[in-house]
Amino acid sequence: MKAAVGDEIPGWLMESVRPERMRTMAAILRDPNPVHWDRDACDAIGFGQRTINQGPLGLSYMVNMLHAWAGPGSITRLIMTFPKAVLDGDRITARGEVTGLREQSGRRYADCRIWLDRGPDDYPLQGTASVRLPD
Amino acid sequence: MASQPRPIPPDAEIRAIVGHQFPGGPYTVAHWENFLLTECTGAELLPGGMVHPVVLFHMPILGSRTTIGEMFALGQAESDYSIGIESYDWEMFEPLREEVPYAVSGKVVAAERMIQPEGRMYDRIQFQFEVAQADGVLAARTTITWHYNRGARS
Repeated sequence: MKAAVGDEIPGWLMESVRPERMRTMAAILRDPNPVHWDRDACDAIGFGQRTINQGPLGLSYMVNMLHAWAGPGSITRLIMTFPKAVLDGDRITARGEVTGLREQSGRRYADCRIWLDRGPDDYPLQGTASVRLPD
Repeated sequence: MASQPRPIPPDAEIRAIVGHQFPGGPYTVAHWENFLLTECTGAELLPGGMVHPVVLFHMPILGSRTTIGEMFALGQAESDYSIGIESYDWEMFEPLREEVPYAVSGKVVAAERMIQPEGRMYDRIQFQFEVAQADGVLAARTTITWHYNRGARS
């Protein structure tokens, strides 16, 4: 696989963030926070009648992007920050670009900047990833 | 936990939780669990029984024999709404697989009171978890850094 600093990683689209997936996730995570499943709770804190996506779910869209690019099992590290909430109904694209290339123990790695894109100047999740490149 | 805001805990009580170790124990990601989690991400199941990395949020927590609710309570969260995420750091050394038992441990590695120039107060609490294979090889390490906001929201 060829990669160069500055390469754009092909985007991965979540057409519509779905509230039922947040509810499933909340049950598996044993997450008591009602902002993931109770629209009235979200309304009470200023988000309107839209539930808030779990942070790990937003992060997973970037995992899916990196898997599609470099293959399953290729990710060695993810560091993610969460400047804004992702809400049910949002149309989100995971995006990334290669910021560095290195070799370690005979394997090639790409360091990447990754983020979620909701529209112009609207990037609710931002972080970095290290990815082992396939031969 | 209670949904009513709690009083701001003394700074010393927050610092004292550094080093708190969760009981830890074994954890096996079941097929059904990986299936449902992967569906939530919008992806197809990964090949060879590989677990979707999104498992690295809840597996370390539950495998350490704690819960999100207990982690909120440990930092004396004012309410379920008062937690903000600073960052998640997931290090993956070996792919995790379904129906394979792993040994999980976790502890509090940092806890400090922060006051921003504009007056916002929060406690920055950092949890670190490790997931090891049966042969002791470290498969993953995760670090969760949360802000326990004080007096800002209820």
